[in-house]
Amino acid sequence: MINPLVNLFSYGCIGIGLLFWFWGTAFLPSRRSVLFKLHMLSIADTLGSMAILLGLLLKRPQEWPLLVLAIISLAIWNTVLGYVLAYCSTTEATHD
Amino acid sequence: MINLVNLVNLANLATVTLSGDFYADIYIYLITALLPLSACLLVVQTNPYHALVIRAVLGAIAALVYAVLGAADVALTEALMGTMLAITLYAVAVHSSMVLRLGVLQTAALIEQEQPPETPVLVKEPRLAALITTLRDLIRKQHLRLELVPYPNRAALQQGLTTQEIHAACAPADVESDAIDCVDPANHSHHNGATSLCQYQIATRLQSLHDILQAELAAVGVDTVVYAVSNLEEQR
Amino acid sequence: MSWILIAMILALLIPIYEACKDENIWQKMLAFASIASKTAMISLFVSVLRDDWMLGAVAVIILSVGNAGLMLLAHVIKRVSQA
Repeated sequence: MINPLVNLFSYGCIGIGLLFWFWGTAFLPSRRSVLFKLHMLSIADTLGSMAILLGLLLKRPQEWPLLVLAIISLAIWNTVLGYVLAYCSTTEATHD
Repeated sequence: MINLVNLVNLANLATVTLSGDFYADIYIYLITALLPLSACLLVVQTNPYHALVIRAVLGAIAALVYAVLGAADVALTEALMGTMLAITLYAVAVHSSMVLRLGVLQTAALIEQEQPPETPVLVKEPRLAALITTLRDLIRKQHLRLELVPYPNRAALQQGLTTQEIHAACAPADVESDAIDCVDPANHSHHNGATSLCQYQIATRLQSLHDILQAELAAVGVDTVVYAVSNLEEQR
Repeated sequence: MSWILIAMILALLIPIYEACKDENIWQKMLAFASIASKTAMISLFVSVLRDDWMLGAVAVIILSVGNAGLMLLAHVIKRVSQA
């Protein structure tokens, strides 16, 4: 049914995405600044989620419209959200 | 006896079906367990703004639980209404309700206000500024914020306090014809020497605010300014 | 596939712990941003696992709308903390 090489590749993508998730989220409980955490989190969440979605796309290619839409909206919205959060938190910090 | 055998059989059957489905469906149980966990986290929050963010977390997890349990429409409604709309409305409501409006006299020596009335009030007199800073720090512990409302004279200040435009009024204590008469003769220390120039009194119409301010201002113990907190309701 | 979901739930537990522990409002918002995208990804994963198109569409909507609501909340909190 499914090519074992493609299957292996999709599991590899999902594994890399999970690794990204754990790596980026592990910085959250530390005592760093908000901007550092935001940088790590936006990289890890966006790239990790996109890797997971790519793995799912390889595994179930018949659901491609949904997954491509998810990848596009994830890329756009997470980038914009990163900018907005950084803008809001830094203006508040300088205002104090 | 037969009942007991039936019961044991039933228990075995239940165990078999449970263990058969349990490991395939364990993620459903784990995701469902997140909902009471985040609800407990929401209940123990004391700061209203922190509770707002945790409420948003609860909404996201509730949408996830509904989606995993198969109710896609309920999940969509929870994400749109329960998280987005409700949180924004709660933020506006908390912002406009958690405020202490303090009326002050707008004389030239005390207060100056910029020409557009939306700009914040600047306090020129140093003792009043110190008092307001202290007060701001004190009520920040109760998650309130301070908003100064200037009034032209004492009668207007008294009128504002009576008509519930402001929660508390602050005025110098040593003017003879004071409309805001604080009935606390123990704190009227005109004669003990140190500084009788600018002693401020705070009058409030709220019993809980009176209790908080009485306890906190007594604990601060500032030497140059005597605070007399009185409740106007008691005077009537 | 169930183990991937369990790992995703474990990754979701870290920002929940952070959201209840940290006292700064922006750190809480950051944890909430992580939680919002992670929950949407988990429901999208479940929808693909079950071949459920309706669930998948709802998950994509939650993914984009949750981010938009987060931006709105961030602006409201900024306005509140400046006043």
